[in-house]
Amino acid sequence: MNTRQRLTPILAVSLLNAPAWAQQGNSTEDTSPLIINGNQFNPAISVILDGIYGNFSRKTDAPAGFGEGNEAEHGDHGNEEHGHGVEEGFQLRETEVAISGSIDPYLDASVTAAIGDEGVELEEAYVLTTALPAGFRIKAGKFLSDVGYINRQHPHSWDFVDQPWMRKFLFGDEGLNETGVQLAWVAPTAQYTRLGVEILEGENEGVANQLGDVEPGLEASTGPRLVTAFATYAPNLGYDHALQLGISGGFTDAFQQRHEHEGNVEILQGDSWFAGVDTVYKYDAPGPGGRGDFKLQAEYLIRARDLEFQEFTPNNDHFDAVGTPQTLRPKQDGAYVQGLYAIAGRWDAGLRLDAIGMANKVFEGTEREEAGTSFRYTGQLSYSPTEFSRFRTQLAYLDPDQGHAGGPSENAWQFMLQYNLSLGAHGAHRF
Amino acid sequence: MRKSIFTLLVIIMSLPAQAKLQVVATAPNLGMLASAIGGEHVAVEVLAPPDRDLHYLEARPSMMAQLRNADLVVSVGADLEAGWLPVAIQNAGNAGIRGGQPGYFSGAQHTDLIQTNQAADRSQGDVHTKGNPHFYLDPVRMAEVGNALADRLSELDPGNGSDYRARAQGFQSEVNARMTEWHERTEDAPGVLLYHKDADYLMERLDVTILGYLEPLPGIAPTGKHLSGLVQDLKGKQAVVLYTDFQPSRAAEFIQRQLGWPHHQLSSQVQPGSDQKAYFELIDRWVEAISR
Repeated sequence: MNTRQRLTPILAVSLLNAPAWAQQGNSTEDTSPLIINGNQFNPAISVILDGIYGNFSRKTDAPAGFGEGNEAEHGDHGNEEHGHGVEEGFQLRETEVAISGSIDPYLDASVTAAIGDEGVELEEAYVLTTALPAGFRIKAGKFLSDVGYINRQHPHSWDFVDQPWMRKFLFGDEGLNETGVQLAWVAPTAQYTRLGVEILEGENEGVANQLGDVEPGLEASTGPRLVTAFATYAPNLGYDHALQLGISGGFTDAFQQRHEHEGNVEILQGDSWFAGVDTVYKYDAPGPGGRGDFKLQAEYLIRARDLEFQEFTPNNDHFDAVGTPQTLRPKQDGAYVQGLYAIAGRWDAGLRLDAIGMANKVFEGTEREEAGTSFRYTGQLSYSPTEFSRFRTQLAYLDPDQGHAGGPSENAWQFMLQYNLSLGAHGAHRF
Repeated sequence: MRKSIFTLLVIIMSLPAQAKLQVVATAPNLGMLASAIGGEHVAVEVLAPPDRDLHYLEARPSMMAQLRNADLVVSVGADLEAGWLPVAIQNAGNAGIRGGQPGYFSGAQHTDLIQTNQAADRSQGDVHTKGNPHFYLDPVRMAEVGNALADRLSELDPGNGSDYRARAQGFQSEVNARMTEWHERTEDAPGVLLYHKDADYLMERLDVTILGYLEPLPGIAPTGKHLSGLVQDLKGKQAVVLYTDFQPSRAAEFIQRQLGWPHHQLSSQVQPGSDQKAYFELIDRWVEAISR
C-alpha cells in the first residue's frame, strides 16, 4: 500500500469527525491521534437495568371489563404476567439497550431493544428527518406513538414502578407502539404548538386489533389501518413554571376480535376509535438540588368500537353461522392523575390515582355485562444518588369493581422495590 | 379598506427584512456575550435561568418554541448541556441550528479547555470527557469566545460584520483593562475550596490555589467522610469556601465550623438580559470573595 492510499481514509475520518454533535474543544482536536478509530463513529449507546421485587397481598385480576373475554385474544389474562407488568418476588424487567446517532446530514436514527426472558424484542427502530424546512419533521419505522403524554415514555421514564392502568388496559402492555410514519410540525409561534398525524400499520390489541384472515368470517385488511392525530400546546410561563396541554385521537375501520366460547366461535369486526386529553404541569424550584420541584400529570383516554358480531358453530370441517349478525358498540375509558414532589435534593415522593371503566360498556357474547369503575391508589418514594441511578419503593392499594361477572375481584395491596440504572451515553432529559 | 389590507400586507412582508438576528443562548453569561457583541442587531433570549445547574435542565416546550425561531444558538458546549440541548434542538423543527450548521455555536469549541484528559468512566463522577465546560467565569476566555462569536455573527449577517468585530474587540479591551486590577486584588489571596469544578478557570486565571472540592467527585453530593478527610488534610491552612446559588450551603457551613474558614455563596451567571457591565460586576464579586 502506498502512502496516498493509506492517507485517504485517515483524511476522510478527520474531515468527517468535525461536524458531529460532539462539541470538541480545540485541545481535544489537537491531541486526537491520527489513526482510524472505529469507535468515533459509533452511535451513542445506553443500557437501562431495571430490577424489581414485588410482594402482593393476593393475586389480582384485571379490572372489571378488561379481563379475559373482553380483551383481544392475546390481551391480559387476569394477573399481570408479562411485558412491563410486575410479578411477585425478584425479577428483572426488560433490560433496554438504546442506540442512537446521525445517519447522514439529513437523518437521525434510534433503535431501542429490550432483552427479556423471551429473547430480544425490538421496542423502537426509527429514522427522523433533520433537515426539513418550516418546522416539519418525519419519523418513520417502529415507534411509540406521540398520542397523549405517557404513551411515548419507556418504563425507565415512568415516575412509578408500573404504568398507569389507562395505558396498560386501553392500549396494552407496550402502549400504542406501531410501525408507520409520523409527520409533525412545530409552529413558528412564541408559544409552543406542535401538530402531528401518524399513519400506522394498525396492530395494537387495544384499539386496532388485527387477526388477519381467520376462519370463520374474519377478513384481513392490508395496512396501514390506523390513523392518529395529536396537538400539543405549551404557553411560555417563564423559568419556574411549565404547562403542556395535549389532545389526541385515532381511528381504524379494521378492528377484529375472535373469542371461543363453549365450543362456538364469536367474531367481531368493524370500526374503532379513541380520543384523549393530557396535561402536565411542572414547577422547577429555584435553589439547591431541585428540592421543592413539583410535577402534576393527568390524562384521560376513551376508546369505542362499532363492531359487527357473528357467532359460528363448528360442523365437521366447516362452520355454520348461528343467528344473524348484530351490531355491538363497546365503550371504555380510563384516567389517572399523579403528582411528584421533591421532598429533598435527590429524593422525591409521588402519589397516583388510577380510575378505569367510568364508562365500561362491554359485552359477554351479545349480553351487556355489568362492569363498573375500578380504582388504584399508589404512593412511591425514590432516591437518586446521581442522575444515572434511582432506587424506588412503592405501595399500591387496588380497589376493583366488585360486580364483575367474570368472578369476584378483591381489594389488594401491592408492595414493590425497584432499582433503575442507566449505563453509557447520557440520557436525554425530556419534558 | 382594500388599501389598508394592502398596507398591512406590505408591513408583514417587510418584517423579516427588518427583523433582528434571533439569538438563543443556553446560559445567561453567554446571552450577555451575545448582547455585548451583537448590540442592536440581535435579539437575545436565554434558555436557562441563572440560579439553576446547567447540567440538570429539562428540554421544556418553551425552549423548543424559542429554538424554532432562532437564527443562532449560542451554547457552552463540552457536554454541559448534553442532557437537554440536543433533544430540544432535535424537537424544535429548525434545521439551521443543528450541530455543524452555521446556526449552532458552542463556546467550548473556540477556547482551550482544561482538564481534558478525563477517563470516560462514571465511577469518577459526572465527568466531562471533552474537558471542563465552565469556562464562562474566565473573562479572558469569554473575550476569546466573543471574537469567535463576532466572526459567526458576521457570517450570518455580513452587513454588520465590522460592527460585531469592533464590539468584540471592545469587550476584549475592557477585560484586559480590568484583569490588571483583578490580579492585584487577588495577589495575596489565601486559596479557595470550591463546591464543584465550576470556578477552576477563574482561579487559574488569577493564580489562586484550589485546595479542594466539597464534592468527593464531580456531580456527587458532599459526604461526611469526604468532608472529614478535607478537614484533616487542610487543618492549619487558610482559605475561603465558595459555592454557587444552586449548591447547598451545609457542607460549607461544616467547613466553617471545623476550620473557621469564611464561606460565600455567589452567582455564577448574570441575570438574563444583562449587559457586560453586569458580568464584570459578577467577576468583581468573585474577586472580592477570593481576596477576603
